[in-house]
Amino acid sequence: MAEPAIISVRGVDKVFNGGSDRAVTALQDIDLTIGRGEFISLLGPSGCGKSTLLRVMADLTAPTGGTVTVNGKTPGAARAARDYGMVFQQAGLFEWRSVLRNVELPLQVAGAKKDVHRAKALEMLELVRLSEFAGHYPWQLSGGMQQRVAIARALSADPEILFMDEPLGALDEMNRERLQGELLRIWGDTRTTVVFVTHSISEAVFLSSRVVVMSARPGRIAASIDVDLPYPRTAETRTTPEFFEKVTEVRKALHGAPSEQAAA
Amino acid sequence: MSTLRLSRPGGGSALRARIGRLTPVAVTAVVVLGLWQAVIALFDVPVFIMPTPVMIAEAFQDDAGAILSASRATVEAVLLGLALGSLGGVATALMVSRFPRMSGPVLNAAVLINCAPVVALAPIFNNWFGVTSLLSKAGVAAVMVFFPVFVNTTRGLLQVAPLHLEIMESLAARPRHVALMLRLPNALPFVFNALKLGTTLAVIGVIVSEYFGGSTEALGVYIAYQAALPRFDYAWAGILVSGALGLALFGAVTLLERLLMPWHASLHEETS
Repeated sequence: MAEPAIISVRGVDKVFNGGSDRAVTALQDIDLTIGRGEFISLLGPSGCGKSTLLRVMADLTAPTGGTVTVNGKTPGAARAARDYGMVFQQAGLFEWRSVLRNVELPLQVAGAKKDVHRAKALEMLELVRLSEFAGHYPWQLSGGMQQRVAIARALSADPEILFMDEPLGALDEMNRERLQGELLRIWGDTRTTVVFVTHSISEAVFLSSRVVVMSARPGRIAASIDVDLPYPRTAETRTTPEFFEKVTEVRKALHGAPSEQAAA
Repeated sequence: MSTLRLSRPGGGSALRARIGRLTPVAVTAVVVLGLWQAVIALFDVPVFIMPTPVMIAEAFQDDAGAILSASRATVEAVLLGLALGSLGGVATALMVSRFPRMSGPVLNAAVLINCAPVVALAPIFNNWFGVTSLLSKAGVAAVMVFFPVFVNTTRGLLQVAPLHLEIMESLAARPRHVALMLRLPNALPFVFNALKLGTTLAVIGVIVSEYFGGSTEALGVYIAYQAALPRFDYAWAGILVSGALGLALFGAVTLLERLLMPWHASLHEETS
């Protein structure tokens, strides 16, 4: 990628229960550079450490070794500076807050003035097309709508980076494909750098400008595949031969990963 | 994209819905009272075992002035005890939850102490604060209310969803934000459950301490005195008034809960 790096991961290891006989190497010698404005997917089987890698970048887990730079800072400093927004598999909305007040949460925590964060939150709800639900409570929304609120919340403080940990994993196929389209539109509107964890090959190919394929036990990067399908991508993109070719290429890389062969 | 909406029906249909909900309650009450009256009349049950509803109603009508003026002191003691106990419980919970390592043992101790019959303290409290003092009655109620409020509130403050904590962490939230924006609202349903329990406990605490003596202007004293005379229909009238007091307080707490927590899951069944 020609863009300057916004995230750089160098020689990162992560060992859980280190020193004990239950030690698990989740990540081994990971090198990864992510350019500004990229949409990167971390793809791999469960247990390959893709979520752990994301959490290391987000400073929610400390690496055992190696260095990580996020937006020119340590992950901890980037988190403190609120350089990223995060979306988890579950929306995790605060059930006592209305949709609007959920979206305002990051701005409130950051100490923004009330009129500022009210306006900003309304703008974010417009972005995810949920303006008319501003006054609703989370339990009144479907799972897909809750996840869109979570995306609006993650973006409300204008972060440079959006970390997404299997954000569509809990949704049914129909909702999932619709939200993938929404997500690309939002990415196009905001030009945020997105790091997206998934175990769905077609989801990774449809969304990403680059797919990083990981293998399990220990978690390693097996391949990095540029997806040169033109944006904007639509439902038709999924039916093109180029899309199928890319899916096949990624699938081969995934299945060619050493641990997959060992498992098969 | 079908979503549920809060029902805000117009006046007419709201009234009809309310009547629809209250009708079974009213029918049940009438049936129970009718059966009660019929059984006692049929089997000629003596009044010292059980008076009929009609006799109790007559006793109440006859002595309403005395019963209601006796109730005033009891209501005051109940409200004071409820307020002291819940404020103390919430305040202690806030303090203890700041030290999660300490809160486990403290909670266990509280649960143990709570197993003791606090009402047994009534004669001691009479001795401490004076048998006619409001504080000796309110004190028993306060101690009874304190434990469930303290234990529940602490749980509510500590039992926060790990995902919610992680979201606050990803936002670089300060401990103050986590306390105000996450732990406190998370504890509210727990607090209200404890308060509902507390209303009944406060009434029990005050009435029972009044059995151990006090100024004659108190519902517990009235009940004990009438039972000793013996005028059981009058005693029963007093008992029913104390029951109504407990119900009214329970209703007030439920109303407060609805006003303060419009999002709460237990209220969803109200919507259509």
